[in-house]
Amino acid sequence: MFSLRNTPIRRKVTIITMMTTLAALVMAGAGILLVDSLLFRRSLQRDLTALARIIADGSTAALAFNDPDTAAQTLASLRWRTHVQSACTYRLNGSVLAAYQAPGALRCPPPDTAPGIHFSGQNLIVSEPITVGGSRMGTLTMLCDTEQTTERLRLYGATVFCVLLAASLVALLLAWYLRALIVKPISRLVDTTRSVAESGDYSIRARKVTHDELGTLVDRFNEMLAGIQSRDNELKKALGEREIALCEADNERERFRFMAESMPQKIFAAGPGGESVYLNKQWMEFTGLPLEQIKGWGWSQFIHPSDLEESMRVWKHAIATGDPLQMMSRFRRADGVYRWHLNRARAMRNAAGEITLWIGSSTDIHEQKEREEELRRANEDLQQFAYSASHDLQEPIRNVAIYSEIVVRRYRDLLDEEGRQYLEFMREGGRRLARLVADLLAYTRASTVDPVPAPVPASAALESSIADLAEAIREAHATLTYDRLPEVYMSEAHLRQIFQNLVGNALKYRNEEAPRIHVSATERGDLWCFSVQDNGIGIDPQYKEKIFGLFKRLDHDPKLGGTGIGLAICQRLVERYGGRIWVESESGKGATFFFTVQQRPEWGRAGKFQSAGSGG
Amino acid sequence: MDGPVTFTRILVVAWAYTVLMLPRAHAQSAPEYEVKAAFLLNFTKFVEWPTGSFPAADSPLTICIVGKDPFLKFLDDMVADESVNGHRLTVRRLSADAATQGCRVLFAGVGELDVARILGSAGRGVLTVGEGDRFMRAGGMITFVIQNQRVRFDVNLSAAQAAGLRLSARLLTVARSVVK
Repeated sequence: MFSLRNTPIRRKVTIITMMTTLAALVMAGAGILLVDSLLFRRSLQRDLTALARIIADGSTAALAFNDPDTAAQTLASLRWRTHVQSACTYRLNGSVLAAYQAPGALRCPPPDTAPGIHFSGQNLIVSEPITVGGSRMGTLTMLCDTEQTTERLRLYGATVFCVLLAASLVALLLAWYLRALIVKPISRLVDTTRSVAESGDYSIRARKVTHDELGTLVDRFNEMLAGIQSRDNELKKALGEREIALCEADNERERFRFMAESMPQKIFAAGPGGESVYLNKQWMEFTGLPLEQIKGWGWSQFIHPSDLEESMRVWKHAIATGDPLQMMSRFRRADGVYRWHLNRARAMRNAAGEITLWIGSSTDIHEQKEREEELRRANEDLQQFAYSASHDLQEPIRNVAIYSEIVVRRYRDLLDEEGRQYLEFMREGGRRLARLVADLLAYTRASTVDPVPAPVPASAALESSIADLAEAIREAHATLTYDRLPEVYMSEAHLRQIFQNLVGNALKYRNEEAPRIHVSATERGDLWCFSVQDNGIGIDPQYKEKIFGLFKRLDHDPKLGGTGIGLAICQRLVERYGGRIWVESESGKGATFFFTVQQRPEWGRAGKFQSAGSGG
Repeated sequence: MDGPVTFTRILVVAWAYTVLMLPRAHAQSAPEYEVKAAFLLNFTKFVEWPTGSFPAADSPLTICIVGKDPFLKFLDDMVADESVNGHRLTVRRLSADAATQGCRVLFAGVGELDVARILGSAGRGVLTVGEGDRFMRAGGMITFVIQNQRVRFDVNLSAAQAAGLRLSARLLTVARSVVK
């Protein structure tokens, strides 16, 4: 049966047809044989019973009148029944009246045999009572062979065998025909599939010849082919488009590469883990190292050893957070010289928001950095000079002021009116000079601030500045109010200086009304925003920026005694602490000065803290 | 194979010889009449009486013996508890001149001389059985004869038919001769 599974359908059809036919025939033959032998046996029994009865009837008179000759004659008629082997007519007492025995046959059964008909081996035994008029006269027994049955069976067997042979032949012919009917369309379909598979031509169609399931199969197959054909076409089209897109992408990549290569900057691309996957040729030209050596984490070879740790930290932080990166570091050129670079990188993200690539550039800012350094040094020198100059100037100026005072007090009566006036000018000039120098000193001192370890209460700074200005406040009949003020990370001296300048200005630039000054502080994000509001003459908006410049004064009234340094000092201090100062005002409607202070300054980032001041 | 049958035949022949020879040897002819009694009884089984011969379905079938009875006790013994087609068999003995009403079988022994009268009294529907040529000639229906020392019988079929009786063909096959 397993081998049948893999035989071709052609042979299967033949085998199935043959097997079905043979099975049917064998079953039918067996059935016929069985039924026939049964029926034949039964009819044989009936026949023999009838025969026995006839003989018994014919023997009654002979038995009744003790006539063995007649009885023997009656029995002798059995000789025509060749299957009757022997027969006997017995009297009631069991003695034999007459007997018949075919040549070479067995003796007839005894008289006491049970009545009826039964098989005894290959033979049939018949025992029939002989009666007349309802009374028993004797017994007839017969012995019959069943050769007839066997013969008949043999004949039937032969017939069935012949029929089997003939039917097999017919079945073979039928199978031939059926093969053509079933197998041909299938093999045609198979041929079609083969040619489609071999040629890859999906426009081939199978021919439908029958309208049965095979026809449906052919139809479905053709539909499937049509589907495959259209999909194949779509696929080809899509492939074409993809090729174009790939070409486009290639071009795009080429453009990017060209762009990156032709940039004066050093360009790099790094994977999400931070390892660089692309470096333009500027890197190789600069470092003089081959690409293989500086790819990945190779940049650690040419970065300045003192920048390595910090750069690695910042870079890893950027990778972890995905925030844009900006930092400076020194890279070693091929000739061994370290040059400052500004490194910038941004993360590229996919649709899911995951980082796929970092694109960055490193710009050689060594010259700028150097110039900046020079400038800083020059500035420092200048500041040093201004500091020492103003410091050294204080002594002679104080002398001028003191001695001009002495001269005024002791010798004013010796001078005439004109002389006294000149002396007064001199004294006034000396006083102004002293103030100017003091302010300048304060300004230069404001250039550096040290980290403040603990916050100081702003109200204390304000109160001490109010105390300093108590005379002026009283003189101006001014009202000064202030809200509750926070604690800030600022040196108290600096804060006091700021308040003193701002409140001093408010007192100074007043109109006819008595000045009303209000100081308050509000929270703005991570900043404290302080404000000093007055009802003075106000500031024309066009001078809003200008007033913070050094020696910039809007008035030229010597009586007001301004040096033009106060607001510059304020700006410098506020910016040193990372804050901002500005004014909001309209001419004649008072002015409000604002400045901000970081609530929690990052003292750790000293660099940023210092670099912010370089603009001032 | 043939042995037993042949032996049986020899026995039969011996028996017949004994039976047939003995009456002649002895005054008493009982064995011959025993056979005849059996035959007489058996005749009733092969004869069909005309309709109306029996008043009822179980009326007895009477065998009448006219005159001298040669059967001794044989017939009575055989008839006892015997019946034919539902009719019980009975035996009646009549004097030679007695009426034969109710008899279905009439037997006249060899000693009876007035056969004609007896047969005349028999009438319709009565089977007449007798012995000797005289009985045969007088028109008796069945006559016992001895042939080859065997009891046999001749049949006068026309006489039986005239009396409205139908004798079975099987009976005729075993008869020695049949007069039509």
